[in-house]
This record gives sequence, C-alpha cells and structure tokens, in this order.
Amino acid sequence: MSGINQDVATNAPSQDNEQVTGDVKIHYITYGSEKESSWLPAIRQLISKDLSEPYSIYVYRYFLYQWGDLCFMALDDQDNLVGVIVCKLEPHRGGPMRGYIAMLATRSGYRGRGIATELVRMAVDKMIAKDADEIALETEVDNIPSLRIYENLGFLRTKRLHRYYLNGNTAFRLILYLKPGIPYKVTYPPEYPYPEGDGSTPHQQGPLDEDLIQRQAAQLDIQDIHDQRFNLIARSDDFT
Amino acid sequence: MVLIDHDADTSIAATRLEREARSAMSYAGPKIRDVTGEFDAAAKQLPPGRLVKDEYFTLFEAVGALEIMDPKMDSGFVPEDDTAEPEFDVCRGLLPTEVLWIMDQLLGLLIGWHDGYPLSQTVFTSLHVDRLLSPDNRRPYNLHFGSSVSTGVSDTEQVIHLVLRAYCLALVKSCALVLHTIQLQNFYEEEDFVTHLFGRELLHGLSAEDALGSIGEAMNWLPTSDIQKDVRDALSARLDFIWTYVSLLTNDLNDWHDLTDVLDTIKATHHLAPPIPEAFSDKVQRQLASSTPPRPMMQVSWDLACQKWREMCEDTVAAGRLTTEDICQSPQSLQRAIWAFAYRDPPPNTYARAYLQTILFGAERLGENTSFFDLLLVDIRDLVLAGDPLANPDNFLIEVPSDPRHQSARIMEVFMDKVFDEYMNFFRMVCQNRCRIRRTFTQSIGVLDSLEAVAVQTDADLDAITPMRNGDVLLCPMTCWVRYQKLQIMIWTIQLGIETDVYLPHELSLMYWLLSWILERKLSLITHSEVFLVWRMSEANGMRDTRVVAECLSSQDYLRSLRTQVEAERSLSIALWQLFTVLTAVKAIKPLKQDYARELLLYEARMKSYLGLTQDPIPPLSEYKAARSALGSVQEVCGTTTAMTKQAKSHLAELKKMTPHQARYVGTEEQFKREVKQMETTCVAIAVQTSQLLRLSVHQAEMGSATSEEKLGIEATVPAPGSRYHDWWVVPQIKSTK
Repeated sequence: MSGINQDVATNAPSQDNEQVTGDVKIHYITYGSEKESSWLPAIRQLISKDLSEPYSIYVYRYFLYQWGDLCFMALDDQDNLVGVIVCKLEPHRGGPMRGYIAMLATRSGYRGRGIATELVRMAVDKMIAKDADEIALETEVDNIPSLRIYENLGFLRTKRLHRYYLNGNTAFRLILYLKPGIPYKVTYPPEYPYPEGDGSTPHQQGPLDEDLIQRQAAQLDIQDIHDQRFNLIARSDDFT
Repeated sequence: MVLIDHDADTSIAATRLEREARSAMSYAGPKIRDVTGEFDAAAKQLPPGRLVKDEYFTLFEAVGALEIMDPKMDSGFVPEDDTAEPEFDVCRGLLPTEVLWIMDQLLGLLIGWHDGYPLSQTVFTSLHVDRLLSPDNRRPYNLHFGSSVSTGVSDTEQVIHLVLRAYCLALVKSCALVLHTIQLQNFYEEEDFVTHLFGRELLHGLSAEDALGSIGEAMNWLPTSDIQKDVRDALSARLDFIWTYVSLLTNDLNDWHDLTDVLDTIKATHHLAPPIPEAFSDKVQRQLASSTPPRPMMQVSWDLACQKWREMCEDTVAAGRLTTEDICQSPQSLQRAIWAFAYRDPPPNTYARAYLQTILFGAERLGENTSFFDLLLVDIRDLVLAGDPLANPDNFLIEVPSDPRHQSARIMEVFMDKVFDEYMNFFRMVCQNRCRIRRTFTQSIGVLDSLEAVAVQTDADLDAITPMRNGDVLLCPMTCWVRYQKLQIMIWTIQLGIETDVYLPHELSLMYWLLSWILERKLSLITHSEVFLVWRMSEANGMRDTRVVAECLSSQDYLRSLRTQVEAERSLSIALWQLFTVLTAVKAIKPLKQDYARELLLYEARMKSYLGLTQDPIPPLSEYKAARSALGSVQEVCGTTTAMTKQAKSHLAELKKMTPHQARYVGTEEQFKREVKQMETTCVAIAVQTSQLLRLSVHQAEMGSATSEEKLGIEATVPAPGSRYHDWWVVPQIKSTK
C-alpha cells in the first residue's frame, strides 16, 4: 500500500463523471488492519463526494480501525482509487455472527466493469473465511443496479424500511445466510439508548426497535454503487 | 483547550467515572488548568486513526460525531461573507399583502411538518415564530419582546403585531395539540413523523383558548383598519382557517369539512400575496438544540400544500365515517373499515392515523356500549361458538362458584386476557405505515403460536367442565380461533410482502404455493366450525330459543362468506403458483445466478417468520419441491390454471351476493365491491395470460422449435406494485421473444 496518489482525493467531479473507455487493468487490495492507511482521504472522498451531510472521520475510523481486513479497494493501473467497500462483522444481538456491508462506492467513470460485484465478492469471501453466519445490508428500493448486484449473488430482500434514509427514501434490507439454522438462533434485544428526543414521552412502538436504531445509526448506508447519491437535503421533489 | 484533571494513563471509562466521582464529592469546585500541551503530547503517542473508545462507543455515537467548522456538519459555522443571525426585523411593519404571503408560507410549512419534515426545516424557520418561541419570551408573547422597537398604531404595524402575531400563536398551539394527539398513539419517530422540538417550548404559558382569543381580537380589528377590502377579507380568511383548525384539534368543532371550506377561500386569494422570503431563514437552526447538521428549509409548493391540507381533512372525516356505532359493533366490519382507511390513496398522514387510533383506543369503550373485550367475545362467538352457552355474555356475570357456567366463564376470561393485547394489535397495527403493518404482523405470528399452545390447555380445561364433542371430534374452540387468527396474519404478511415488492418474480411460485397451503388450512378450520354449528343448531332448534337461533344463523352466514372468500383466494393462489412455476421452468422468468446462495438457506431466509412455529408448522422445502416436480406439462398446468380461475370467479360471484351484514362489511360496501371487482379482473387477466401461454407453447411445438420446454422462447414480466389489478395478486404478462 505504498502507491498513494493524492490526485484521487482532489479529482474534480467533472473529470470523475467521464466514462473511462478501453482496457483498464483494475487490481484489488485490502485496507488492512495495522494502521490508518494513507488511502483514507481517497476513500472518504469517494464515498462522501456528493453527500450533503458527510460522515465524520469517526464513522470511517469506526469501521476501518476495527474491520480494516473487511475493507477492499479497487485501483486502476495508476493506483487511483476507483472503488471501495467497507464492512463490519460482529454478533448480532448476541446471536448469529452477522457481517454488514456499510458502504460501497465505485467511481462513476468506471461503471459496468463489475468492480462493485468483485468488491462484494471479496468482502463476502473474507466474511465466510472469518466464520460469518449471515450478511446483511440496506439499499434504496429504487437503486436497481445495487439490488441487482446483491440479488445476483444470492441476497434476499427481507424487509422494507419505510423512509429509512435522511432524504426520506425507503430501503430494503437484504440478507444472505451462510449457514443453515440461522433463524433458530436465539437473539436478545439490543441495549441501545433511545434516539435523541426532546425529553417527552418516547413514542410507543413495540419493544426496542432494531430497525429504528439501525436507521438512525446507519444513515451511512451508501449502497449507491452508481454514485447517484441520495439527496440528503430535504426532499425538495416532494414540494416543488 | 481546558480539561478538568485529565489522567491520560487510565482508561477513558475509568477516567470518566473518576471525574464524575470527584466532581460529585468536591465542594470547592473543580481545579482548572490548561492541559492543551499534555493533550497534544498524549495524542502524539497514538498512530493516526487509532480509535480510542470504550465498549459503549457504538456506531450510533460514531455517526453522531460532528467535525467542528465543517460547513456541512457544523450548524454554527458562518461563512466569511455571511452573518450568523438573519438580518430581518420582525417588528417592522409590513404590507398587509406581504403578511398574507407569510401566512400562506407558514401554512405550507405546517403541512410539511405533518408530512414528516422536522420543525427546524418548517415552522421554526419563520422569524416571527422564532421570536415568539425565544427561550426568554414570556406570556403574553409579544414580537417586540427584547427589542427596542416600540409598537406603533399604523395599519402596517398592527397587521404584524395583532394579525400575524395572533396567527403565529394559534399556529404554534396547533403544533402542540397535534403532538399531543400523535404521541399518545402508535407511530414511528422519523419514519412517520418528527416530534423533536429542538429545545423549544410551544408557548408553554399560553393555552389554545388564549391563542383563539388573540385571533378574535385580530378579527375584530380588521374591519376597523384602512386595509383594502379584498386583502382584508383574505387576511380574515386565514385567521378563520387557523381558528377553525385549532378548534377542530381541541374538539370544539367536529366537522373537518369546515376547514376545507375555508381552504377554498384562501386558495382563491393567494395571488394577492407578493413573496417576502426574507421573513424566513434556516439560520434559526444555529439557535436550536440539535446534533443534526444544518439542513435547508423545506421548499413549499402552494398547490401541493393545499392538496395535502385537503387530503388530511378528508382522511380525518373518513376516520369518523369508518367508526360509526354500527361498524364498531362488529369486529369483522371494524377490521375491514380500518383496512379501508389504511388503503386510502394517498395513505393518510400520521395525524389522521393518530386521530383514528384516538377514536378506537382513546377511551375504554368504542362508541356508546362496546369495549374491545366485547369485540373479542363477539369475534370468538361468531367464528367458533355461535349458539353455545360458553360465549353467552351473561355467563360472565354468574358468581356462584359451583356453577359450571361460572367456571367456564372464568377459564374463558383468563384466556381472553392473555390474547387481548395481541387482538388489539390486529386493529392498531393496521393504523401504521404499510411496511410496519407487515413487519409487526410477522412478529405477531410467533406470539399467536405460543397463544395457540395456551389455547390447547384452555380447551382441555373447558372440555373437562362441559364436553364439546361431536361424536369423537373435539370442538377445541379456543385453539381453532387462535389458529385461525394466526393463519390470517400469515396470509396478510405474504400478501403485504407481495404488495411491497419484497419477493422477486422467481420467488412468487414458492410464495403463492405457501399461500395456497395456508388457505387450505384456513378452509379446514372453517369447515370444522361449520360442522359444529350445524350440530349446535339442530339442538337449539329443539330449544326454540330465538336469540340462539338468530346468533347461529348469523354465524352461518358469516362462515359461508369466509368460506367463499377463502375458496376464491385459494383458487387464485393455486392458479398463480402453478403459473409462476411453469414460467420459471420454461425460463420465461429468468432465474438469478445467486452464486453464494444455497437452496435450503434461501428457503430458511425467506421463511424465517414462519419457521419457528410449533403448532402446525409449515411444510419443509422438500414438500414444495415435490409439489413443483409433480406438476405436468405446460398444457396440463394451463388446464389447471384455467379451471382454478373459473372456480375463483364463481366464488366471487357468490360472495358478491352476500349482504354487508352477512359478510360483515358494514360501512365499507364500496371498498368491498371494488376489491371483489379487482379480483374478478385478476381472474380474467390470468385466463388471458394462460391462453397466451398455451397458444405460444402449442405454436412453437408445431413449428418444431420447442425441442424442450426450456426453449419455448417465452418471456414473462411482472407488473410493479401499483400497476396491478390487485396488488396482492400478481398476473405475469406473457409474450413471445421470437
């Protein structure tokens, strides 16, 4: 991981949007687990490029410091970062060992080359090697390219999450079982705090809602492999 | 940087505890020293990216972190060429027409809040509202509070300090009333609605009546002013609107049509208002308590806002209409009514859904003389115990402990107490958003399954007191009733899954197969109940008890309507599972590669909600595979599909003949008819597609191009939800690819 190229981090969007044609040799590397990689600025830039509300550096560090071995990067022949996947792996509510794909992005000019699929494969393979029971993720209901990638690999839609994202868009939760008998595993309710409120009565919504907490925490689901970032600004299309 | 006694050598958690302990014990106050140097030195010991956290630092905290001075994260960040505070004097006199615009803008922002935007992006962006809500402002909440500008007596000043202020006061109180209604009911924060107040209080010291009083003063002043008549009338209409709205929220008025009437007047005069956008600013967010990044003000489209206001009024009116006395007396009619409400298009907003829940659950009783406990008893009686003394409400009043009727009633009561909450959920959950209905119902399946186990014991206890047998067959009324409910909930979860696009086209074969399996079980429960009803009726006729006879006849009608409907649905699901199976077999529906998937694991993932059932578990994957491979040729399947469609149509024809009281759709006659019609159209469409499939397969067999079924050259597409004849019944569109 020596070939750092600062150009990646400063690429102007106009350049980025141009479709790259012809043969480009893509190679893949792992972020690794030793130290903060010099790739972090490029990763951050690639993922948050169009986000109106970018994640703080701590969100990236949260994943990369703990699960750097589950982060994979696609580089072109000049070692420019063109794709990245960020994941975690931990027991889900004291039950199955759940892998979670948090972020996936490819540079717009490099689409249609199967880079995102390859990144997902690498992450899934690594999770299997690390004895994961299942893998979960969320993606927007109308992000067809993203759904196609995951569904072609065997993920199933298990839940529809109403207005899951900050921009008001609805998501599907997708899941892939890697071992038999997962639904029979015992899980325990999470000990999450209530989401911030004004101190008034918490809304009644059944016992400790996993989806709500996840939605609040995981506005970081940048599953948009085609870089059509959901507009985190108010849903202007609703009212204009 | 200043920290209080930071000890770098201990863990953060320990430090925190120690610090808290120290500050709790210290009377002298903390010793303060500058630790910037130490902190820098300590930080240099760590490699970049090293995450120092205790085990309580979760993703939640990581996402909540902000980077100070990042314009996209830090709401306090002020760009060099901008000011921190909005430069607008809220006390300044404005043209009456400008005030009109501010009022209309607020109306749009208010309905935006109803639609799910936070107050920080809507109502709170009004600088006039912001001034009234200033933490230092007190009753009587004047705009000139804290400002040196004195109020004048000119019209342009009065229109601000009297008219607009009153409008804003009432509008803010309306928010408080809406919040109160919503927060007493079930809803999903952020998903449906944002209740966050960002540290503001909604005019704590002022009642809704006070606000209405201010409106009255403003109304009285308007005719005395020199404001042009059309503008004066327009201002008056807006005051009338907010007055009516608040009165509806406080239940001083009941007919939400009153509001739509005023809305029409307002719409007609909106053109008089020239925009004055500087009266609003998202800079108010700098003063609001929030960890969320700055977000822009919602953009208001006037026409859409008016439309949404109208929809909310109509939904609220509908909520009242769907909960009249005669509907509420029948649990089945009431359930249909709530589903009808949920399926209004567009779906009712959170307030309207809370309004319906308030009618249903706000008091002990539904209407004059029905409680949910009564509804539960009627539900059980109608399905499994009509004419049986066990379900006679009078039994519950017998107090002689040795009386078997008392003993049975106690057993029933204990059981009903146990199922009561879940039974209420059948009604309450339908008031939630569509995705949540499905998900809460999937959670309900497991609960009902364990209640079924309880019911088995209850039935044994009841049987020990008063045997309920027809020959060797036991009635098991409670088990039957719970299982029936469980099957119904399972059916809804599948149908809602189909409606919300959870299943891919190639999964529809499996899902309709499971649906037909469940419907089969449901049918046999209905048959079981019918047999016992006939047996009971033969005994009751001998007794000539007219009440019992009437009860039995009514239940008989109801069971017949259930049977007819279930038969229709079962025929449709058989037709569709077979059709989708054959379409998948001939590759008309393309299978996915699913590289990492294994068949059994896919089955487990898909069936997760149903796998844990201990009472009457669902069939294993092997059974589905066996059923699939037992299907015949394309032609044979087409034969079955056609026959099933015909059956479904004749059942639907029979169902249509049943009266609202017989089939329990009192109050939702129109929706019932529409749904039957949609299912009939579905039948026709399946027949058309089946004959298309048959034609293509025969044609291609004759042309010799179909050496195997896998090369028929047929493509089937699945219409998206919203473009189907009925969202629960997917009819594939079949065409030739050659």
